[in-house]
Amino acid sequence: MKKYALFLGCLIPQRLPCTEIAARKVFKKLGIEVMDLQGYTCCPDPIVARLMDKKMSLALSARNLSLAEQHGLDIVVLCNGCFETLFEANRELKHNPKLRDEVNELLSSIGRRYDGKVQVKHVVEVLYEDGGVEMIKKHIERPLKLKLAMHPGCHLFREENGGDIMRKPRMMRDIIHATGADVIECKNDRICCGFPMMQADEEWALKNNVLPKLVCYQHAQVDGVVVPCPTCNLQFELGQVMLHKYGERYNIPCLHIVELLALAFGFSAEELALDIHRSPVLQLAQKVI
Amino acid sequence: MSENELIESIKKVGAGVLGVTSQKRKISVTIDPSVIRQVVQALLEHQPRFVIIAAVDLGMDVELLYHFDAEGKLIVVRATITKEDNQIDTIVDLMPAAEWAEKEAAELFGINFRFHPKPGHFVLPKDWPAGKPPLRKPFQGTLPEKFCPVAESLVSVGATAPITSFAKRKRKEAGLPKLPPASYSSDTSLGEVHELMKRAEFDVKAGFDWKKGKLRSSK
Repeated sequence: MKKYALFLGCLIPQRLPCTEIAARKVFKKLGIEVMDLQGYTCCPDPIVARLMDKKMSLALSARNLSLAEQHGLDIVVLCNGCFETLFEANRELKHNPKLRDEVNELLSSIGRRYDGKVQVKHVVEVLYEDGGVEMIKKHIERPLKLKLAMHPGCHLFREENGGDIMRKPRMMRDIIHATGADVIECKNDRICCGFPMMQADEEWALKNNVLPKLVCYQHAQVDGVVVPCPTCNLQFELGQVMLHKYGERYNIPCLHIVELLALAFGFSAEELALDIHRSPVLQLAQKVI
Repeated sequence: MSENELIESIKKVGAGVLGVTSQKRKISVTIDPSVIRQVVQALLEHQPRFVIIAAVDLGMDVELLYHFDAEGKLIVVRATITKEDNQIDTIVDLMPAAEWAEKEAAELFGINFRFHPKPGHFVLPKDWPAGKPPLRKPFQGTLPEKFCPVAESLVSVGATAPITSFAKRKRKEAGLPKLPPASYSSDTSLGEVHELMKRAEFDVKAGFDWKKGKLRSSK
């Protein structure tokens, strides 16, 4: 079984450690070996950091990639944002020798070097390709009789140029199906959660990104929403709280795909520290136990 | 005296002269504000004519461009003062023609020209409210205000936000190590991040104060 360098990013360890717990348990269950990437920095985030300074942003990404190169391991990320940043930096630096030289000059000051020798993989593709749907099914101890919505998030569609952008979203759907849950299709599944827009206009993002999706989910009477990204997760959870001030009341559970798998694998809500969530994920867990 | 002699006179001032470049009709000199008087004294050997002081508000700093004319060249001396310090020594006793230019920059940009012989009202209406220089911009850098907390955290700890004691407690309760294996958990990694920020000059762009460990514009 392949071994990966686990890149936790900023949000999961700090805001949603429940996702970290679930990921570690799921990887172990599926026999996917991971090694913590020691000393990593923020990926850095694909919106704010890039707008602030592309050179600094690429230098931090290249340093993170060089940490994995040092161990000869591909990177697995649990976050769409980290995936976008590291995947894009890897692609850009591999194909632009001038830029790579500039970044390597910066890295040389700290005794590091980027050679473009590792791949960046999203947890969804690692679960699907290295675990596999059949393997996941074998480990299901608690089939989930749930009706779930799936929010892939924008960056899950990121592929190499000319690649099939629906590849990872399809994998995600198949994984959720493997838990026994039904995946409900909503007309605005591909709309962004609104996190980037929140940086510019909070009210607009809440009313035009979060709210229309919640309306669909409520209408479809889903038991919860599954995401592959902590930023989308927080956006749905805090978005529901923030919408109260505009008279909109929703209380839909939102959880990461690794948490859904961990529940289906038989781990308890306590073991997974699901009380950390700001949406009723604990109540969702009670439905399946 | 020749142009080269003029440049040598300026360079003799020492470490406070940060750079001198010469073009066809212009000599550009970048200095630390603390040596403005020594630089003007060095120029006096070349019988300069004072032209003007142009002030440029850069947000967190104010650039003062002292223009002189000597040896058939325009000499522009650039001194950047921080808004936290906000002062520079007067040159009026050395070059009396600078009196009005300093008063104008003081009144419009709120800069303190120390030891100016006749400070006070110059061009603004007499009933202009005190302490509100009309050309002075708010104290902020080139980054949008909303990005500043992220910039500060990226430079100082290499993450989008510093880890809170609440998060550490939650991690511990959840059976995880109090700190994740991130850069802020290791002095060596954090040192690398700080060095990269300096090399990429992002610390300057963000206006990061290394002594305080936060952005200069942070409250």
